[in-house]
Amino acid sequence: MVGKIAGAQITSGNGMPGQPVNILLRGINTINRGTSPMILLDGIQLGTTDLNSIDLNTIDRVEVVQGAAAATIYGAQGANGVIQLFTKKGKNGQLTIDVSSSVIRSEYLNIGGLKKANMHGFVTNANNEVVGGSGKPLTLDPTYGSYSENVIWNSTDPTVQINKPYDKNLQYYDHFSMFFQPSTNHQHSVAIAGGTAKSDFSMSLSHAQQETNFKNLGGIGRTNFTSNIGAELAKGLKLRSITQLIYTKNTINDATGRSIIYSVFNSRPFANYDFKDTDGNYPVYFGDAVGVNGANPNFVNQYTSSLINKVDVVQNLSLNYQFPKFVELDAKYGINYQHQENIYTYLNQTGNKNAVDQQYFYSNYGTDGSGELDNYTYNTTFQNFLASAYFKTDFQKDFGLSLPIRTSTQVSFDWRDRYYKEYITYGLGLPTYTPFNASQTPTNRIASDYKIPFVTYGYLVNQRVDYGEVAGISGGFRTDYSSAFGAASTPFTFPRGDGYVRLSAFDFWKDSKIASTVEEFKLRAAYGEAGIQPNQFDRYVTLNTKTIGTSNSFYFPLSQSNPGLNVEVSKELEIGTDIGLSLAKGTPWFNDLSINASYWKRSTDNAIYNIDAAPSTGVGTLKDNAFSLASRGFQFSLNASIFKNSDFSWNFTTNFGKQTSEITAVRGGAEVVITSAAGSTGYVLRAGEKIGQLYGFYAIHSLDEKLPDGTFAIAEANRGNYEVASNGWVVNKTTKAPYFSTKQFAFGDPNPKFNMSFINDFSWKGIVNFNFQVDWVYGSHLYNQTKEWMYRDGIHSDYQVPITINGQTGAWSAFYRGVYAEVSRNGTKNYFYEDASFARLRNLSVAVDLVKAFGIKGFRKLQLVMTGRNLTTITKYTGMDPEISSGANASAWDRGTDHNTMPNLRSYQVGLNIGF
Amino acid sequence: MKKIKITALSVLLMGSMMMSCKDQLDIQNPNQPTPASAATESGVVGLAQGAIYINGFTSSGDKYYDGVVGAFYNGVIGFHEMMGDVVAAEAANTYMNNLSAPNSVTLDDGTVVPNPNSPSQQITLLRNVNVNAQQGGNPGFHEWALMYGLNNAANSVLEVVEKTTFSGDAATKKNTIKAWAYLWKGYAYSRIGSIYYAGLINNASSSTNGNYLAKEKIIDESNANYDKAAALSGAITNTADYSTIMGALIPSYFQTGKGAVPTTAQFIKNLNTLKARNIIVNTPVASMTAAQWNQILTLTNAGVGASDPVFAGNTNTAGDIFSPLNYSVAARSVGANASGGTYKISERLIQDFNTGDKRLANNFNQFAVWVGNSDRGNAFNTRWGIKDGGNGLAGVMVYTNRTAGMAELYMLGSYEENELMKAEAKLYTGDIAGAATSINTVRTYQGAGLAALASTDLATVKEELRKERRVALAFRGLSFYDARRWGVLDSGRKNAVVISKDGKTINTKASITYGYLDYWDVPDNELAYNPAAAGSAPIKNPKQ
Repeated sequence: MVGKIAGAQITSGNGMPGQPVNILLRGINTINRGTSPMILLDGIQLGTTDLNSIDLNTIDRVEVVQGAAAATIYGAQGANGVIQLFTKKGKNGQLTIDVSSSVIRSEYLNIGGLKKANMHGFVTNANNEVVGGSGKPLTLDPTYGSYSENVIWNSTDPTVQINKPYDKNLQYYDHFSMFFQPSTNHQHSVAIAGGTAKSDFSMSLSHAQQETNFKNLGGIGRTNFTSNIGAELAKGLKLRSITQLIYTKNTINDATGRSIIYSVFNSRPFANYDFKDTDGNYPVYFGDAVGVNGANPNFVNQYTSSLINKVDVVQNLSLNYQFPKFVELDAKYGINYQHQENIYTYLNQTGNKNAVDQQYFYSNYGTDGSGELDNYTYNTTFQNFLASAYFKTDFQKDFGLSLPIRTSTQVSFDWRDRYYKEYITYGLGLPTYTPFNASQTPTNRIASDYKIPFVTYGYLVNQRVDYGEVAGISGGFRTDYSSAFGAASTPFTFPRGDGYVRLSAFDFWKDSKIASTVEEFKLRAAYGEAGIQPNQFDRYVTLNTKTIGTSNSFYFPLSQSNPGLNVEVSKELEIGTDIGLSLAKGTPWFNDLSINASYWKRSTDNAIYNIDAAPSTGVGTLKDNAFSLASRGFQFSLNASIFKNSDFSWNFTTNFGKQTSEITAVRGGAEVVITSAAGSTGYVLRAGEKIGQLYGFYAIHSLDEKLPDGTFAIAEANRGNYEVASNGWVVNKTTKAPYFSTKQFAFGDPNPKFNMSFINDFSWKGIVNFNFQVDWVYGSHLYNQTKEWMYRDGIHSDYQVPITINGQTGAWSAFYRGVYAEVSRNGTKNYFYEDASFARLRNLSVAVDLVKAFGIKGFRKLQLVMTGRNLTTITKYTGMDPEISSGANASAWDRGTDHNTMPNLRSYQVGLNIGF
Repeated sequence: MKKIKITALSVLLMGSMMMSCKDQLDIQNPNQPTPASAATESGVVGLAQGAIYINGFTSSGDKYYDGVVGAFYNGVIGFHEMMGDVVAAEAANTYMNNLSAPNSVTLDDGTVVPNPNSPSQQITLLRNVNVNAQQGGNPGFHEWALMYGLNNAANSVLEVVEKTTFSGDAATKKNTIKAWAYLWKGYAYSRIGSIYYAGLINNASSSTNGNYLAKEKIIDESNANYDKAAALSGAITNTADYSTIMGALIPSYFQTGKGAVPTTAQFIKNLNTLKARNIIVNTPVASMTAAQWNQILTLTNAGVGASDPVFAGNTNTAGDIFSPLNYSVAARSVGANASGGTYKISERLIQDFNTGDKRLANNFNQFAVWVGNSDRGNAFNTRWGIKDGGNGLAGVMVYTNRTAGMAELYMLGSYEENELMKAEAKLYTGDIAGAATSINTVRTYQGAGLAALASTDLATVKEELRKERRVALAFRGLSFYDARRWGVLDSGRKNAVVISKDGKTINTKASITYGYLDYWDVPDNELAYNPAAAGSAPIKNPKQ
């Protein structure tokens, strides 16, 4: 979907298989619930199954309803917009069998050329060997697999340069080629479809296997069965059953890949992680010399594993009755069930000499290296019932009146019931033999036995009136009840309305010359409000419980619920136009152009957030309707047939979206400073500013530069100590350390100024199809936390880049280390806040139909498809991938951090589609 | 057929469901009890145990918890032990490395090595980072938050206990729980008043006020709470019910060795030791009055004895409160060599052991010099690593034992602390021989294996007392208080062992100028959400 929906920002923030995309359809409307839209599958909410579990080959079409003005119709949870998927149906009289198979080769992107320095600046002896505190060369202890001494790196000494090769006792290992690797993946599917006048069916079975691009980290296999069966039971009465059965087996040992990548990137490159001790075990921690944040991924994969089995069931039933006249009744019921079992195994590590010596163990609930077996079971049952009655009239047809009026009255009731259950057990202390199971662990606990029931229901009344093709208007309201407010709650009611005028349908237009070029011209407007409910228990005050030894105890949660919490209210106004053009009638060029453009504006009051309480109250944070948000945007799409004749066609689409969201008020007025879910990076939420700005310390580019608060960064009297270094940053001439402010400031909005995509489709006689898509994201920023961490221990290759300070040119350690360490070590600093605008060749595909090309008999289709994804990217960003987002998925504010995340993949796919 | 279906559908649509739906909205949280659940006999005991230990001392009491920094006994106490030059850290989380970077170190050859951090003075740093925007990055936040979490827990217990109906001897049960709550309130105020320049007195749960009071008033409040605990405890006659309740409040697996359930008399002895601490740690030794020394003597003579239980915490495999591998500062100093763990052993601690002290031999091993990041301070390179569980010398104390159930974590006072406060009081009230005897008693108690100190020379015994407090009470959160009251923060330390930044030179005559802030300003996270009301005491230490 990336790039295909005008106005939407859809990004793939993590290249690990199975990671969800970030979807922002229209504005940031809530902080509490993120930006994820509601997903409907054939009109019924997908309440638990992930969008990326659906086999998109079974989807006939996708419709996106962006704003609250429209989405209110679909339910109380529709404030972030709605993505509707419609499953393929069988067609009357045509039995088709489609078999397709493809193989995909993927490799990780490293657009910015991230690498480790292959030089160092450690203290060496006369023989150029790196020495430790004892003065002796560092050696890897063959028994324990560790360096017992630290390197001596006078990192802030203004004379130290990073210019010594790893060619003596320490050798350079390319950790990227050691651990990152291409993957080969497969997809196969069989589909059969057909139908008669009164019934249709479509069934499909598919399997996709995707490995990670990290050595021995596992992969995901997914099997989907989809069926869509429809029957007309009686005249006007249709029954349809749509089923999705999905089985996913996930063995990825680090779902986001972030911790294992962090451990690699923060290891100095002389660590030979392929080293095994005499027992054949991988050491885990090679000593402080390698970097205190480094660890051996080979150890992780030797001793820990993950197995997730997940079954999803989506069953939708719909019954529709159309009276001969006026009334249509429609009832839909869907059940979406998900069962997931995660088994995490941490083998007993007490036999690993290095781990025992270094006391470096991996555990989850455990407290030592004796191993553990964790079993997480999750069950979610989501039911959605939706009943609608439509009363439609056509004054001309039904009543014989001359007025071209059509009316439609909709009354709908919907009900959603979600029941979530988790049960987590763990056993501590694994035997050293195999096989074993949880019954052989001496300490067992139930870590969690937790249930969340949730019910919401409401009804919608909407009245639509159309006057011919000329104009239309609709208005209505939606009322919702929610169990988050308990039985005594009063419902929330929100109005909506829309209208349009089609100027091109008026006679004056039709008669004018312009009508031959501008065939369609429509103006439209919509207004809607939607309620975003608190989470089920946000209003219930409880105590936490904890087993202490053998007793049950209570304690206070740090985050307190608030019984006074209210619903968040989001309001939207949209105006837009739809235009259809034919620029050169009678020629093959530039016909069927359509332009859709919309401007929208929305606001949210009472957005819920955990606000700090004074610590002396003993309360950590309190949920409160603390924020007001506002956003606005403009979106535009152009679809055009650039050229079309009997042999050749060229279609072009461009989508453009620009949006911005800000905080208009914060209760109490205090700025809220928050750390990214990815760790380390700071953000600020402050009234009057864009939401989710990076927040930290300022380095400057000129001696008389002022800080954002209007004060001079460096007092005039002290400027003599500083100069602008050859790389443009102000540095202290003596220490060679960069200047950083002692106060923190916002860096700006990391969200893109606009995003745009260009899609071209070429077809020649239906034999050869060629298409490509370019995505352009402009004005986005990323905080390169990955780089900042690699500055800590002199690991990043920037350290080798010579700069001139005070007339001396060299790869000055003191500068680079200073960037990391001055004022606040690993503090958020504008030095690492980078322009992450990019243009990406998202997709390039060539398909050749051999049946048509060579007239092969016996097949309906024999298509060979070659697809490349993410083939080239143009960006100034210096990290691996400007599309990375390491923060919480679909977060309202945590949208601008690159912190040790798997980049997206460049992939080459070859597929064969066979149709009978 | 057709007709029936339509009718069914119509009925469905006509909204008769609306009525039945409303009941479905009545969803309570099925997972956790409400606060009302605590107002039962077992409930209030559960609250008095869980809230005190969990909210007061673990990560669950710190909204800005950082695992590298740690919680209370392995984090906040670590700040004290770093500033007391017992350990140091390289990790920069919450600026913990900067806390123990002295202003300057003068090496044996006269080279002056200034604090390499920016800013280059600990005081300046603490002031720079005491802004709300730093959140948990402000080191001054954590002790404040945890101790007020502890105070709130105790306040809640005191409120709930009044609403609870007890079986049997209700008065004894209630008073036991109240004495317990006042003990912890006293401790919370003691910690606040001993490190912050001003504090708040809060006696109602989940609320606060803006009347900041000077640290002396907070210490007074600590003593007042200790006195309440003592009065309640002293009035209890039904020792069986007292023991049952106290035995239920202290986690069962803590109740071994020094962690045993105290009798009411032993409970009061603990309070006396803590009251003596309140005086001694908050008064510079130079300005202690004879009356104060005599008060210390009185309190310590009625304080914890050699065989009394002392509220020692312990670990279990599941790490319910304290985890075996990281329950204390000492436990978090364990490593394969001198690089230790998060904490590194200070050469200045090691040099304070007398030659032949078995406590050194039992607890520390010497390695090649470990050289830390030179830009994080010049004073923390070391040759010493702490040994988990000791080197096996019989009868000699160990600082840390990371086997589950073997930890002995001094959460409050201890016999050694009591006896050394007594020694100091004797020393300053003219009983030098008595002071030496108390020092010897502690050394014997810990298995030091040193020849008895027989000197009656004031300077000699004073120095031995200094060293003994450093050694015997190391890792117990008292070293910073000692450095402060002995004037070490300002006048520094001579003849210090300091390893040069290249690891080549072991200086033994180095001078260290610490220059650390003695009492911290009120953390800004508090002030941002609870500004000082008119008439408040100064919330900022005037020391520059």
